[in-house]
Amino acid sequence: MPELLEVRQLSAGYGPLRVLHEIDLIVSQGERVGLVGLNGHGKTTLIRALTHMAGWQQGSIKLDGAEVGGTRSQGAGRRTPGLVKRGIGVAPQGDAIFPGLSVRRHLECGAHSRVAWRERRRRIDRILDIFPPLRPLQNAVVGKLSGGERRMVSIGRMLMTEARLYLVDEPSLGLAPKISQRVMEALWNLPVDGAMIIAEQNVALLSGKVDRLMGMHAGRMRGDVGHVELA
Amino acid sequence: MDLGLVIYALNLAAIYALMAIGISILWSSVGIINMAHGATFAVSGYAALIVTGLLKPVIAAAFGKTALASIVMASAIVGSALVAGAICGAVIYLVAFLPIHDKPNFPVRALIITLGLNIATVQGLLWIFGPRNQGLPKIFGFGRWEIWGAKIRYDQAGTILGAILIMALMLAWLRFSRKGLEVRAMMQNAEGAAYSGISRQRTALPVLMLTGALAGMAAALLSQTIFVSPTAGVIPLVKGLTIALLGGLGSVPGALAGAVLVGFLEAIVGAIPILGQRYVLFSTFLFVIAVLIIRPRGIGGLLDDTRE
Repeated sequence: MPELLEVRQLSAGYGPLRVLHEIDLIVSQGERVGLVGLNGHGKTTLIRALTHMAGWQQGSIKLDGAEVGGTRSQGAGRRTPGLVKRGIGVAPQGDAIFPGLSVRRHLECGAHSRVAWRERRRRIDRILDIFPPLRPLQNAVVGKLSGGERRMVSIGRMLMTEARLYLVDEPSLGLAPKISQRVMEALWNLPVDGAMIIAEQNVALLSGKVDRLMGMHAGRMRGDVGHVELA
Repeated sequence: MDLGLVIYALNLAAIYALMAIGISILWSSVGIINMAHGATFAVSGYAALIVTGLLKPVIAAAFGKTALASIVMASAIVGSALVAGAICGAVIYLVAFLPIHDKPNFPVRALIITLGLNIATVQGLLWIFGPRNQGLPKIFGFGRWEIWGAKIRYDQAGTILGAILIMALMLAWLRFSRKGLEVRAMMQNAEGAAYSGISRQRTALPVLMLTGALAGMAAALLSQTIFVSPTAGVIPLVKGLTIALLGGLGSVPGALAGAVLVGFLEAIVGAIPILGQRYVLFSTFLFVIAVLIIRPRGIGGLLDDTRE
């Protein structure tokens, strides 16, 4: 299988704090990778570093064989929009929603400006099919939605990018079990042409659904931890 | 309250709103407190002065003293002020945004650079044009209407209508265009915008040019009432900043409401015999401080219940 993402010796942190230590990770086309580990062990920072959102980072990140990491990079977020356009879609922790926009406009933001409006409409329709509860709320303001609906809007915005690599950070965080089940169900039902990395604390939600479960501990990659050990 | 006072208040509010909305949008989307907004205001006034000076003989030769001549002159004033404001915005982008936007403490650096730009520009204008006040040709002509016994000067009515028109255009752009959607997304959540592929480098230029053009419009309109001078931008800048704060930085409805409130406050204080004009600035700041003590994030949240 072709390698979609190849991470070598990636370290990252915030200010003087080093959170990630020489991470190596290879994700192939069509793979779903679960990223597990306790709070504060680097899952979110890894997701952020993959999109240049960490405070600083060094090491190599290759997307489809092309270097997007650079050896050393500062200025959090400066290169993120470019990476999103090159095919990385992100549903960040805490959703990062636009509270004053309607659900429809919110989703529209996800598809970047060069995507024609017809195509944008098709994508929005597809997302409303994936998350049926959003359909009647299309014109509702996102800031007034419930936590579960916000999560759907945030993941929907990510799906609007039609990226090759999706990064989903804690999709079940703060949601009632039933709702997080529904959100996860939608993620599993997506056709995977590219790949997906899901950072999640609740291992039970991932086991049996992802191709690999990678453990993180103290900012280092612990390798494939298998399904049994954690379950 | 008589109608004349209302018109005067709306006149002030129109100018303040043009300044405050620009400052507010710029802060929440790009992250710059633009201290050079006053310089933009002054430069736009001089640009209109130079352009009209050059065009006056041409227009006189082409149209004589017809109504068409004054329409062409008016569009020359407004157009040159708008363009000059937008160019100032582009200069601010090149000097105070591009070199530093990915450095730590960008807002503080930008504040210092734009403050420096403001001082340098005012001194430059003093150097070139001298401290003398200069008048622009009147866009709306001289004269007044009488409505219900109140006298409304053409320039007052024109200022209010012109400001409403340009703000409506800008709000429509924000609301209905793709770029406007990106700007609003960036105002509401910078991180979410980055994850949506919306780049701050790309969005900052149109936002800076647009807010610059708003300041240019404010200069063209205010010069109908007072004069063009190197330091003409100081008061609009100070008022614009405080009203943007009053509205809750980043809230367009807040800035608009703040401008109307302050406009009326100033008009009323100015009209009360024992207070009068000399207490206007004092009472404005007292009001803004009082509001910010009670509502530290301004009045924006009252109008827009989804602000975070």
